[in-house]
Amino acid sequence: MNLPIPYPDPMPLPAPVWLLRTLLLLTFFLHVLFMNCLLGGTAVALVCTMRRKSSEFSVRLAGDLGRLLPSVFAFTITLGVAPLLFLQVMYGQFLYASSILIGVPWLAIIGMVVLAYYGVYFFSMKGHEPNGKTTAVLALVVLLLASIAFVYSNNFTLMLAPERWLDLYHSNASGWNLNWSEPSLLPRYLHFVLGALAVSGLGLVVMGLREREDGYRQWLIEQGSLLFTGTTLLNVGVGFWFLVKLPGPVRLAFVGGNGFATALLGVGMLLPLAAIAHLIMAKANKSPKRQLAIGVSCGVLTVAAMVVMRDVLRNLALAPCFSPNRLPVAPQWGVILLFVLFFIAGLATLYYMLRKAAVATRMRVAATQKLQ
Amino acid sequence: MNYPVWQLGFPGGLLIAAVAVLHVFISHFAIGGGAYLVLTERRAYSHNDSELLGYVRLHSKFFVLLTVVLGAVTGVGIWFTIGLVSPEATSSLIHTFVWGWAIEWVLFFVEIAAALIYAYHWDTLDRQTHLIVGWIYFVAAWASLVVINGIITYMLTPGRWLETGNFWDGFFNPTYWPSLFIRTAMAVGLAGIFGLVTAMWEPSPLRERVVRWAGWWLVLGIASLLPLSRWYFHDFPSYSRAYFSGMYTAVHHALLGGAVCTGVALALALVFALIRPKLMNPVVVAVLLVAGISVMATGEYLREFSRYPYVINSYIYANDIRVGQVESIVANGVAKASPWVEGSADDPHAYGRELFVIECGSCHSVAGYRAMRKITRGWDAKFASEILLHLPAVRETMPPFVGDEHDRAALGRYLASLMPATPSGANEKELGQQVFAIHCALCHSVGGQRRPLDLKGTDPEGIAGMLGTLGDINPDMPPFTGTDAEGHALAVYLSDPRQ
Ligand code: HEC
Ligand code: HEC
Repeated sequence: MNLPIPYPDPMPLPAPVWLLRTLLLLTFFLHVLFMNCLLGGTAVALVCTMRRKSSEFSVRLAGDLGRLLPSVFAFTITLGVAPLLFLQVMYGQFLYASSILIGVPWLAIIGMVVLAYYGVYFFSMKGHEPNGKTTAVLALVVLLLASIAFVYSNNFTLMLAPERWLDLYHSNASGWNLNWSEPSLLPRYLHFVLGALAVSGLGLVVMGLREREDGYRQWLIEQGSLLFTGTTLLNVGVGFWFLVKLPGPVRLAFVGGNGFATALLGVGMLLPLAAIAHLIMAKANKSPKRQLAIGVSCGVLTVAAMVVMRDVLRNLALAPCFSPNRLPVAPQWGVILLFVLFFIAGLATLYYMLRKAAVATRMRVAATQKLQ
Repeated sequence: MNYPVWQLGFPGGLLIAAVAVLHVFISHFAIGGGAYLVLTERRAYSHNDSELLGYVRLHSKFFVLLTVVLGAVTGVGIWFTIGLVSPEATSSLIHTFVWGWAIEWVLFFVEIAAALIYAYHWDTLDRQTHLIVGWIYFVAAWASLVVINGIITYMLTPGRWLETGNFWDGFFNPTYWPSLFIRTAMAVGLAGIFGLVTAMWEPSPLRERVVRWAGWWLVLGIASLLPLSRWYFHDFPSYSRAYFSGMYTAVHHALLGGAVCTGVALALALVFALIRPKLMNPVVVAVLLVAGISVMATGEYLREFSRYPYVINSYIYANDIRVGQVESIVANGVAKASPWVEGSADDPHAYGRELFVIECGSCHSVAGYRAMRKITRGWDAKFASEILLHLPAVRETMPPFVGDEHDRAALGRYLASLMPATPSGANEKELGQQVFAIHCALCHSVGGQRRPLDLKGTDPEGIAGMLGTLGDINPDMPPFTGTDAEGHALAVYLSDPRQ
């Protein structure tokens, strides 16, 4: 069949593929961590505000999340911009084509992000004393964020399926489409959403580890571990469903056909189990800090493995028609060097500001405690 | 051609404009407002003015809510939109400037972090550090303008990049500096406008103090716009400078509107902020906001219009067709070049419509904006297919039609089907006037600005004879395709066009 795949940009890639891919995966990994904490965090906050009458800790957690979530939202977006940039350089002709086909929902993301963002700010201003209104707003925010994620799932599966493009285009050229006929759409989406909830569970554990007050601390760690364990176990099942629904050749690659892909899948399944094991062991332990830290790290590494696996999946799916490795390359080393310098300076500036803010906050907290 | 076309029913450029104007309005405020915050904070410290300090604190929260949320997200929105509307050009920009954007991303990151820390650590950080964070914010925000400005101006004036393909040649292009200064001036002015917005929440007499202070920003910003725009305009490509000569009514109106808005804003700022700050009120502030957004919108519109027929000057046309692609499409036809058009044989009308969508749809809609239905009134298929060979002569803003003979005939037939009408009139002269409207008025006027034809007093028979040789007079002219009777009527009209 003649696939309507646009020819790649005639200009050479402005950097070697390995560099672009490294940056793509690195920034995407960071984005996913924040995005998961945002999606999961707002869902947790929603549950907390619903339990406001029965659980004191829930009210407290809602307040804490209210303070954190606006920044988490800000960094989810900032960290999302970079991978989108690098993705476009390498896979632009696929991404643009599929985006246009689902143009309306794709652009609606922007409006949904703005709404959700202001919703989170609203919650952040009212989070310390939740009421029915905060619950309603949060429910809307969770719905919006989940919809955004769904559109992303649609686009990132559709960009891998050029055989479906012409039909979609001819059925609706105004972009009122979604990629419903993709068999792996729902399991993939569920897999990532459950994963987000799991990661936000780890976020709660981390919040617990940093908390001084024993009761609350204990509660946070317990709830976080529970959330992570529950959603992850479910996700093992969903993951199998996802695997089964992958196109034949891609699935085969993950179950032995391709050594790297298979190994990755193995690691991706062992890591969360290791995380769960450590979280459970920590429960029985008097000073669980170390085990919790290992558990959280295993969870975070799982995310890293999933991010790489996602990239492998993309390359396998596109392999019959495209690989960025075949594109001509003419690196702009001078500008790349400048970027690296900016990057380092940026990190240093961030470190300076965050450190000053953290120290100042700690001193202030200490001062108010002394007063009391 | 390479990509599917997002068919909205109106030119996608309008969507880009809507998102971009909103973004540009907020993001310039985000830059100037940064300087406004720190300088106001410093002023409050040095004058020991705790009320003023209270005002900056409030302003900083407002600032974050507007810039970090709406400003940042609409910025991403522009990206989404241009990728949907002009994928080819977006891809080209990304390939040329991805590292510029990567640098901008670092600045963006620092900017957002600094804004949040600045707004939420008034009580925790000591004054010195808090000011430093504010300055970090401002420097990062302005530096991101320094970067993005190179990419935006490159599209209008790629300069030496066209020969060298070098990043820096494209970046520091002929309009880089004037544009940077103009945008900085805008940023200063907008900082003043939004300073006035939050000043309205403050009680007197603090309110007057803030109004006067913000007013200076506004006046400084607006007053520098005029000389800067002259400089900017001076560096425009010569072909687009011609668009400002009065030939294009839309441009003319935009210039006029922009000038009026600037003048009104300046007058209001002088009277209500500097001379009589007591009189400043929310209505005036609202007018200033509207004037500000109109000036930004005008500027963006004129910049985009000046780029016509290109989206990247001399490299990619506004309909996302590459200049370098034209020859092969003319030789082989659109169906060979685009996998997205459906078979041409079975339904010629549908095929013609698809060609319209691909080649004209980025600037014309069928019935709305620059409506084709109005333009093609009375066209017949022959005339339409001839005109397609001369689009740049019809308007310098238009790219040439690309496609083979078969494509041209199909699009011609489609265009002629939009608003068929046979010219008719009570007498020969009226008929002639209509024939002129259909066949000549695209390029000529009688007594107007566009290629005025003055054949008054010429023998009608001579004119009628000339109609058979239009292409010899000028190769940019299509042959006359009307009937003999129409030709005669036209000749009569031209020889004595008075009513
Ligand atoms: C780059 C944008 C652009 C593209 C693409 C474009 N046009 Fe135009 N067109 C314009 C502009 C701008 C005008 C002038 C409108 C004005 O005068 O206000 C115009 C005017 C015209 C006119 C004359 C209208 C009049 O007022 O007499 C015709 C005819 C026309 N276009 C046909 C076409 C056709 C057919 C196509 C597709 C093959 C096309 N245009 C593609 C921008 C474009
Ligand atoms: C596609 C655009 C176009 C159309 C349509 C067109 N012309 Fe022209 N015409 C030109 C151009 C270009 C010139 C060259 C002179 C100039 O640029 O002013 C020209 C020149 C002329 C001249 C010579 C004028 C002079 O002062 O030297 C005459 C006469 C003329 N046109 C008549 C007509 C008539 C009659 C019609 C309608 C049947 C017509 N043209 C339609 C583009 C056009």
